[in-house]
Amino acid sequence: MTVEVSSLKELVEQASGDDRSPDTQEYFVNMGPQHPSTHGVLRLVLKLDGERVLRCIPVLGYIHRSIEKISEHMNYMNCVHLTDRMDYLSSIMNNWAVSKAVEEAAGIEVNSRIQTIRTIFAELERIQSHQLWWGVLGMDLGAFTPFLYGIRDREVLNDVMEETVGARLTMNYVLPGGLMADIHPNFVHRVKEFIKYFRPKLDEYDDLLTNNVIIQERLRNVGILSPQTAVQYGATGPVLRGSGVAFDLRKDHPYGVYDQADFEVPVGTIGDSWDRYWVRVEEMRQSMNIVEQLLDNIPPGDFLVKKLNSKIKIPEGRYYSQLETARGILGVFIVSDKKDEPYRMHYRSPNFNNLWCLEPMIKGDYIASLIGAMSSLDLVIPDIDR
Amino acid sequence: MTTTTPVPTETECPPIDFGELKSECVAPRPSIMGQKRGLRSILWLSFKGIVRGLLTTLSYFRRPSTVVTQQYPENRETLEMFERYRGRLSLIHNEEGEHGCTACQICERLCPNASIIITKDKKNEATGKPALDQFIWRQDTCTFCNICVLVCPFDTLEMTGDFESSVYDRRLLVFNLNEYAGPTAGQLDKLEDDELAKAQMKPMKKYQGPVPMCGGEMDGIPKLDVEKPTDV
Repeated sequence: MTVEVSSLKELVEQASGDDRSPDTQEYFVNMGPQHPSTHGVLRLVLKLDGERVLRCIPVLGYIHRSIEKISEHMNYMNCVHLTDRMDYLSSIMNNWAVSKAVEEAAGIEVNSRIQTIRTIFAELERIQSHQLWWGVLGMDLGAFTPFLYGIRDREVLNDVMEETVGARLTMNYVLPGGLMADIHPNFVHRVKEFIKYFRPKLDEYDDLLTNNVIIQERLRNVGILSPQTAVQYGATGPVLRGSGVAFDLRKDHPYGVYDQADFEVPVGTIGDSWDRYWVRVEEMRQSMNIVEQLLDNIPPGDFLVKKLNSKIKIPEGRYYSQLETARGILGVFIVSDKKDEPYRMHYRSPNFNNLWCLEPMIKGDYIASLIGAMSSLDLVIPDIDR
Repeated sequence: MTTTTPVPTETECPPIDFGELKSECVAPRPSIMGQKRGLRSILWLSFKGIVRGLLTTLSYFRRPSTVVTQQYPENRETLEMFERYRGRLSLIHNEEGEHGCTACQICERLCPNASIIITKDKKNEATGKPALDQFIWRQDTCTFCNICVLVCPFDTLEMTGDFESSVYDRRLLVFNLNEYAGPTAGQLDKLEDDELAKAQMKPMKKYQGPVPMCGGEMDGIPKLDVEKPTDV
């Protein structure tokens, strides 16, 4: 595998040489950073021939906030709230990832009540993330109605979580050593109501988008990602599973109380956008199954295993921990020098690796297919830049 | 046009061994054109798919009771936030207008972005103990992470449901949370002389503090003489 390193300037100069022929020429077009279908400030430099995409070069750095550097002078309790701002659609899972890394490194054992509540919240968060993705995918492909339906159901779930957490997007609910608050007395009842409400709505989703021939034709055989390429590029989450690789941390290296729940991992066949679409819709069903199984048996216990303090000291060394967010594997790497602040903190974010799959997926295809393929990747740009 | 996705050969990418994968796979759902179907079948399924989508939206159009839209500025009177909602921070004052803050500065120390600044009177003349002078909260830098509420040993802080905080001037987002500078409610109760206790409570204004943006003058920015943001 050869790696080609060339600057953008060189590429542009190569393409626009002395060619004066009347045939179509290769040219460069910027898509973004202010493009409605890039879901944020992602800039894609497209090398085009007519309407065919020859190269697609993501340019990053438009929303870099140096979260990793800021973490270096914060204690471990304060580090957590910054992760809300990375992948804002799976903020509780991000909180959990940091907390899990710190707990494993510092040797803090949390009780099963905390683990169960964390797992339930992670699955609810996964559902709401996929709901938003489903609506936005429709909107990217030119259907505005699904967006309103997706947001409508997400609103119901957001209210359920808001009652316990107190925030809607930047939740900051999981702390190293426990949770910020115990679940609200209404929580179990309202989650049950939500699942009862949402199961029939998923069939409605099928009527609106899944069975629509236009959507199917715009997703099917578009943006094919072979399992080998997916693994080479380090893709994780629904992108990897859509390509047919059955790798899910929740099954293969269970954390939390996923080993107590019975669920299946949806896996695609050829790795086109349709497979990724289908994998996410099916994941919503499986997440509801997990929540239903865990909801009735939340064990009693404290929601914080020890007195809340900032002085969590981690022995000298390097620690890595990872879990499955709505978009893939979020890894947290901590280098500690015995202080209560990390010496170095690094996040291996799922969207960063998934983004680079875009070029092998879309090479030689139309720009319109690029929109569908990018939407099926479900990118969250602040997570790429951090 | 077929997609020209380069599929790596065996030599480029050796087969990957994931160990014993326990994942049970669910078979993907076929798409309409994915199967080998006749043209008539494809046309019928395509037509059915589009019409069913239209019927779904039409059914909601005919049932206005299912509309979930909230008319926000109109329903301000009846709108209730959840009790745990993290809006504006406030220092709890009891019925007599006394707070419980001892100016221990734990919240200031643990605030991740230095949104809390506490100044204190090192020795109050009546009680002989440190007393709170100013509790300054900068909403413009606050991330509403709830840590100050959580770590307060005297439970004097709370996040209120007040979420309408947009103002025209950034300086209006720097608040003085305590209504008076002086000892806590408990210390004031111990003082036998009511007059003396009253004298310890020096009233404070909402916008008052040593932070330069808090009502003070800066180059090019005129002094702000607003006591309360006017409701427009």
